[in-house]
Amino acid sequence: MEIASFAVFFVIACTLGAFLLGISSLLGQKRKIVRENDVYESGVNPVGSAIRQYDIKFYVTAILFLLFDVEIVFLLPWALAYGESSDKAFMISGFVFFMVILLVGYIFVINSKALKWEE
Amino acid sequence: MLIEIVEILLKIVIILALPLGALPIIIHVERRGAAFMQKRLGPNRVGPFGLLQPLADVAKFMFKEEVHPTHVRDFFYTAAPLVALVVALLPLACIPIAAPIDAFGKTIYPEVFRSDMGIFFAFAASALGSYGILLAGWASNNKYSMLGALRACAQMVSYELSLSTSVVAMIFLYGTNDIHLIIKAQTGYWFGFLPMWGFFLQPVAALLFLVGIFAESNRLPFDLAEGESEIVAGYHLEYSSMKFALFFMAEYIHMIALSALFIIFFFGGYSLLPGMEIIANKSPILLVALQAISFITKIALMIWFFVWVRWTLPRFRYDQLMNLGWEKLLPLGIANLIVTVLFVYFRNP
Repeated sequence: MEIASFAVFFVIACTLGAFLLGISSLLGQKRKIVRENDVYESGVNPVGSAIRQYDIKFYVTAILFLLFDVEIVFLLPWALAYGESSDKAFMISGFVFFMVILLVGYIFVINSKALKWEE
Repeated sequence: MLIEIVEILLKIVIILALPLGALPIIIHVERRGAAFMQKRLGPNRVGPFGLLQPLADVAKFMFKEEVHPTHVRDFFYTAAPLVALVVALLPLACIPIAAPIDAFGKTIYPEVFRSDMGIFFAFAASALGSYGILLAGWASNNKYSMLGALRACAQMVSYELSLSTSVVAMIFLYGTNDIHLIIKAQTGYWFGFLPMWGFFLQPVAALLFLVGIFAESNRLPFDLAEGESEIVAGYHLEYSSMKFALFFMAEYIHMIALSALFIIFFFGGYSLLPGMEIIANKSPILLVALQAISFITKIALMIWFFVWVRWTLPRFRYDQLMNLGWEKLLPLGIANLIVTVLFVYFRNP
């Protein structure tokens, strides 16, 4: 039932968006100017393609985000299970062990200057 | 069966109508607030106090020529605004605006998608927001757009880390992931006057979360994705008419959804504002209405805070932004989590 109601919500949201997109292409002005089709580069003639080499830092950031975010996602079930477990000392030692590994990784990342952006 | 279908449709209509109906008001408040802070008048010609200006803008968006440049990737170019809007609406499905109601012989939950994992769903859906932006930037085939999208994504994922650590700390403290239980834990008062809001338990987590939602919704001081002085308008540069308006709407709805999550964790969600308890006990319907009013008031104050900050703080430089996220907020979040966990453990081993 809940999934069904979510599916209806999703379909309605999509329809709403599609309706808004459709309405402007239906009602909008139809005049076409050729220059409008150019890539906008502040009025200068476009130079080269937009698909080119961008800073590798963006890629490194994404990879590191994946690593750290997965570790934080692992902590969520731990945080929920803590209240119900009878052996708190075990839970805490596991947490501390995990955080030490996380911190070693973090310090390595910072020291390797992987995230240092030029000023 | 019929009652259930009516119930679902009613909930969906309310959940969609509230933020979409609030959009013109928010945009108006944003413009008038900006004008107020800059000592100018702002839009005040269309309708009383300029209140109809956002509606006039919508009409204008509809009748504008839809420029569809030839250099874009057609399918993704059209899909991107749609993805941005739908994804911004998704988290709202799990956010309750009032406590469960006992009526017609059963318990009615005010959220569209009732799940004990609702809070995680809301975060997952709001994190999808980067897809609309990345898709728009890539499909536009424009250097400014591409750069804006890359910046926005790198920024959003970086700040999501510190935001997540604060969420872990809060879920650890409340010991539950059910939104209703989280709010229940924040109902009541300490020492008889201080509301038991998560903000007073975890001010550091609240700060991290707050910075995180500013970065997630690409608002000043973190609107590097737009950065008009460097990359013109970023990812929505090649968009016009209603397609552009959809990005605009998505940004504001994203703000509303993230503010709602912030309020659920740190300001007691739909729990009554101080002083409302006296009249709330009169009837169950009044209680629900007051809860909804409390929640909406808190979100409205939060939106005003967004506007206030926008005209108070200057924009960061990109290297400052990334350093703040990775080298200051992330360690702060981890340290806050460790201190919280150890404090709870040693107080009650």
